[in-house]
Amino acid sequence: MTASAHIVPAQAQVRRTGMFQQKAWSPYVAGIAIGLLQVPAFLLISTALGASSSYVTVGGFIAALVDPGVIQIDYVAKHMAATGKNWWQVALVTGVALGAFLSMKLSGAHRRPISPIWTRALGTSSPALRYAMAFGAGFLMLFGARLADGCTSGHGLSGMAQMAVSSTIAVTFMFVGGIAAATLLLRRI
Amino acid sequence: MSLFTSILTGLAMGVVFGVALEKARVFEPGMIVGQMQIKNFIMLKVFLTAVATGAVVLAALHGFGLIKLAPKATFYAADIVGGLVLGIGIALAGACPGTVLAQIGAGYRDAIFTLVGGIAGAVAFGYAEPALAPLLLTGGPGKLTFMDLTGVSYPVLSVGFAAVLVVVLVLLERWRPWRAELGADVDGDFGPAEGAPGVPASRLKPAE
Repeated sequence: MTASAHIVPAQAQVRRTGMFQQKAWSPYVAGIAIGLLQVPAFLLISTALGASSSYVTVGGFIAALVDPGVIQIDYVAKHMAATGKNWWQVALVTGVALGAFLSMKLSGAHRRPISPIWTRALGTSSPALRYAMAFGAGFLMLFGARLADGCTSGHGLSGMAQMAVSSTIAVTFMFVGGIAAATLLLRRI
Repeated sequence: MSLFTSILTGLAMGVVFGVALEKARVFEPGMIVGQMQIKNFIMLKVFLTAVATGAVVLAALHGFGLIKLAPKATFYAADIVGGLVLGIGIALAGACPGTVLAQIGAGYRDAIFTLVGGIAGAVAFGYAEPALAPLLLTGGPGKLTFMDLTGVSYPVLSVGFAAVLVVVLVLLERWRPWRAELGADVDGDFGPAEGAPGVPASRLKPAE
């Protein structure tokens, strides 16, 4: 691209890597990309970025396999309805997994099955303990998100950008709860 | 827009979201737990940048009359208790409801348990909602925004808010440069603290 790159092509081939081959981007570049996703969300789907509603949509269908009566609950039925918004969000979170997989493959940022921080945070390297804890934490995370009517995306990214009082309260207490739990229940990583 | 087109739009947007989360490294448990232990600020940097960007683009779209805002209703008890429980879950999962999918895509096996737990938590809330609604989803002012509280119009307030966030981010970056927060394997892992008890000697070797 620059004159110096033409002078040392061999080195350029080794050193110069495409943006998708890089393992890490500036958090500001990535943050801008995420923020810009509000444009198609609002213009095409008439909604804001969010993630936690999709758990009710998917969970509702799984629960209906064992308890068909679950669709009698208005809240669950509303999330299971075949609307563009409901299934757009399920597709969005599916796409997140796909995008992270592609990004990781392109950069070669191979991950171990469990992040090395957990051995220090928990004082043990037992995978069984970590898996059990992850299940419980996931349960709390979504129960809390549904109670607050939004998560880090719906309240955090979208609600705060819309200057909503509810989102500012929810995000403040999300950090209060997170800092308390990470300080009192986990060891320093 | 048809259901099928909505799903395709969601998938395409999700791929962009997933790439951005993976490249920012903000989906890493080391970044999320590190943020909650106030030793790593990558999560706050990505989060506040995305909020500021969203505030500016939504101000523009709203200013041109292209969109209607949809702020969530305020119910103090639900927002406070829900926010606290969500935060505790995030710290112990080392993930958010969105980033857990990025963890699965990147190959973290424990994230599958977080996801299954999350689906169970959402279903449990679905069953509990009729009982909880009269207790917690009541007694709030409804859809309340800072425009209602200040009387300032949305585009002015949101661009002003974004400007404040940019100043905060500039100061944050000056205090904690992002490159120094990645760690050797870009996962927010900086190895054990010096002299930490119960750490095997092999863990003290620098990462290759």
